[in-house]
Amino acid sequence: MSRINWKQLGAFVLLASMACSSLSCTVASSNELYWGKTDPPQRNIFRYVTGEEPESLDPVVSNGQPEARIYMALYDGLVEYDPKTTAPIPALATHWRQNGDSSEFMFYLRRNGRWSNGDPIDANDFLYSFRRAVSPKVASRNAYMAYYIKYAQPYNEGKVFVRDPSNGKFLLAKDFDENLPAEPVSGSPIDPGKSEYQPTAEESQPPADTAFHASLHTPLRLTIPGDEKARVKLLNSNAKLKAAIAGKELVPIKGEDIGIEMLDNYTLRVSLTLPAPFFVSMLAHQAFRIVPRKAVEQYGEQWTQPAHIVTCGPFKLKTWRPYDTLVVERDPMYWDAANVKLDEIHFYPMSDNPTIMNLYKVGEVDAVLNHTVPNAWLPVVRTKKDYMDAAEAAIEYININTTRPPMNDVRVRKAFNMAIDKEAWATWRRIVKPLTAFTPSGIFPGYPQPKGDAFNPEEARKLLGEAGYPVVQNKDGSYSCPKFPANKMEYIYNTQESTKNMAEWMQAQWRQNLGITITLRNMDWKTFLTTRAKNDYTGFARGSWGMDYLDPFTFLSLFYTGGENGTGWEDPKYVALVDEANRSLDPAKRYEILAQAEAYMLQYQPVIPIHTASANWVKKPYVKGMYPNPASLFAWKFVYIERDPAKWDSGTPSLAD
Amino acid sequence: MLRFIIRRLLITIPTILVVITITWGLIKLAPGNFYSGEKRLPAAIEKNIREKYGLDKPWYQQYAKTMANIVLGFDFGTSLRFEGQSVNTIIWRSLPVSAAVGILAYLLALVVGITVGSIAALKQNSRWDYSSMALAMLGISVPNFVLGPILVLVFSLSLYWLPPSRWGGFPSKNLILPVLTLSALYMAYIARLTRAGMLEVLRSDYIRTARAKGLSEKDVLIKHGLRGGLMPVVSYTGPALAFLLTGTVVVERIFALPGLGNYFIQASLNRDEPLIIGIVAFISITLLFMNMLVDIAYAYLDPRVRYH
Repeated sequence: MSRINWKQLGAFVLLASMACSSLSCTVASSNELYWGKTDPPQRNIFRYVTGEEPESLDPVVSNGQPEARIYMALYDGLVEYDPKTTAPIPALATHWRQNGDSSEFMFYLRRNGRWSNGDPIDANDFLYSFRRAVSPKVASRNAYMAYYIKYAQPYNEGKVFVRDPSNGKFLLAKDFDENLPAEPVSGSPIDPGKSEYQPTAEESQPPADTAFHASLHTPLRLTIPGDEKARVKLLNSNAKLKAAIAGKELVPIKGEDIGIEMLDNYTLRVSLTLPAPFFVSMLAHQAFRIVPRKAVEQYGEQWTQPAHIVTCGPFKLKTWRPYDTLVVERDPMYWDAANVKLDEIHFYPMSDNPTIMNLYKVGEVDAVLNHTVPNAWLPVVRTKKDYMDAAEAAIEYININTTRPPMNDVRVRKAFNMAIDKEAWATWRRIVKPLTAFTPSGIFPGYPQPKGDAFNPEEARKLLGEAGYPVVQNKDGSYSCPKFPANKMEYIYNTQESTKNMAEWMQAQWRQNLGITITLRNMDWKTFLTTRAKNDYTGFARGSWGMDYLDPFTFLSLFYTGGENGTGWEDPKYVALVDEANRSLDPAKRYEILAQAEAYMLQYQPVIPIHTASANWVKKPYVKGMYPNPASLFAWKFVYIERDPAKWDSGTPSLAD
Repeated sequence: MLRFIIRRLLITIPTILVVITITWGLIKLAPGNFYSGEKRLPAAIEKNIREKYGLDKPWYQQYAKTMANIVLGFDFGTSLRFEGQSVNTIIWRSLPVSAAVGILAYLLALVVGITVGSIAALKQNSRWDYSSMALAMLGISVPNFVLGPILVLVFSLSLYWLPPSRWGGFPSKNLILPVLTLSALYMAYIARLTRAGMLEVLRSDYIRTARAKGLSEKDVLIKHGLRGGLMPVVSYTGPALAFLLTGTVVVERIFALPGLGNYFIQASLNRDEPLIIGIVAFISITLLFMNMLVDIAYAYLDPRVRYH
């Protein structure tokens, strides 16, 4: 054999073996019912990829979803997320009641709650944990979740009350702000002749009243910055306030001032600043799960280390090897330990999707986090019976910087929205649902979700023409819009395969339907966030939003808190509508007004809604009690390993049963 | 020799301080913060966080504090992203993982590379030479983010022989694929370096002298040939080993290994200032130290270097 032949043969053998092995892989997997191996784990343990390495095991520190799932194993709160709907179900609170306008809530705690070290859990733990969550010293990123609690926001913001030393009375907010909404029931004087709460069969007598409760039932106090510099700045801009404050004493707001009260060891009362019918559904969030006072005070930031940690969830920490494995084991002290089915959960912190999918295929993990199946893998994986196909309470949209021309013209914004064929996008992306509104479709039962403008390129071109940018048709049928300052505009997005796909798709749609080519610019995640937050772009910025609690307001609140939403759009009429809705006692009426507010916002098109996200994950058929719910958060005590193949899941388990 | 080592060490310290300063400045210039996320935080919460971590202080105070802690106590502080975990703990925890994979990969690369390279040089222009050098070229050209997934596809996803990722302790089957992936490039490079070095040495006068003395071919090759022929490999070993020890971003990512490289890339993306500075300092120290070792090894292997 000559030298050359030998080399050719070697190369051929190498290539052929590579081709064969990849071919055998594809052929084998496309014929199977499930994606990869389906042998249940030997022991009664569940192995799960939860995403990025957890930042901390302290539930108030991280606001991320990967951590939320770990916190759900380790910590309990008043309520837990329902495994199917994510609506609140009883946890440490057995039941609760609300007053007439959802501005005050009573929680009744179970008496058998225990920490992992055996200490009993009572209302003191909630008092401590809620105050800690909004303490400015702790600096929790989740503190805003608790801002509805009376005086929690000014406490977190380091503000002070103003008291008149001559009569000991606090100055009131309504005297300095005419736009303040009317006081809710929780801020109005208590009517001794009328019960605040609907009486129930269980409670024979209404709870005793306290001085603290009475003090909360007064009009909202004035709060001003505690920080000298910020206060001087505010007072210099408001002469009336400056005059009123002269000679008064400033009283720092303490944790004890916020609207949470312990009536006895097992009864808790929470007073809010404004009516919040969705308040209970917020309480399963990590911000409201309780932490052990003794351990936190003894060890400071180190209390979450394996040697010191004390928890209260269905599972307790066994071992933690960062970036490798976090193992939790069943906690015999847990109040519902008899119903916890798994012995252990192994959380693997990983974030590279193909790596995660490989681990799943060879059967080394039993389920993986949401948004994990890469787009290119979907044609195969989606046909398998272990693919979780369900809508999520999360949306993808495009922010428009409404503060800079030409996008400050609502006609131009509408034109860019109407020029996108969202149906076609959803077909191409395979698993998402097209969206014209700002709340996700099909998540909130009974919510009359409004419809935004549909795909209409004709109308889009007309609107652009009206705005002074006529679109002309070229001889070859394509369009161009010579007057439009496209060279000054850009579409910014964070570097990622899926966001890049979306950007390119939108760019192509606008070029095809409007004859306008927008430059795409990708940035690393943190740079992108800063640029968008500062409104430092002209044109478009990718956006996405997921639920914090099961209520449309978790989406609509984005435009409620002012211009910090990435678009610069704010409107007092929108805020007024939302306020009116949240004060409404009738849930159906409330939804109706919220939908009006949403329609009002869509009319101004500060964003271009694109799609409702899809859960897009996989779990082995033997994993039961785990459902593709709207938040992709799972109450772990319901999850178990089914060893009888006859009872395995075949397809996405139904949320309806 | 001792004076040489001391002089080198003295130059090392200011070099590292300059590296740390530049890194610190770059982080401060980079947009974004460790706490920023898709959901923008209210201004008050941002302020609370900045106060808690001392980020509200003027830059020179922050810089002075960072440098003082490093110089006086070799203390890089606590990670911003991973609350309560000190940078030193993170480094010492992840270093063994990176080192195990890196050293194994380099040992494998050395053994295979030197053997193949020597054979290729001895049988120059034979089919051995051509085929091994062609393979080496392939090893250099195929990046590890291609090689890794191919190995996983074949040995894990199709044959189910080896685990596709994750750290399984030392030693374990989990090490095989990352070590193979990582060593391919170094193996190929060492093979080419050895071949070139050996070819040059085998033609030199002192080899002819050794043969003329009547030394056995084995002694000629191993005592005289390899010693000279491996000089390029030795100088390559310093930086190569430093990079391998301190973690390789891509391989650790593909195989989900809890090594230093994985931490480094995540720390940069997360804007975790203390952790970035700690890892950069550690990598620079390792690199400078390895280069010094190379210089010492050079002096040992080549008398001419020693006498100058």
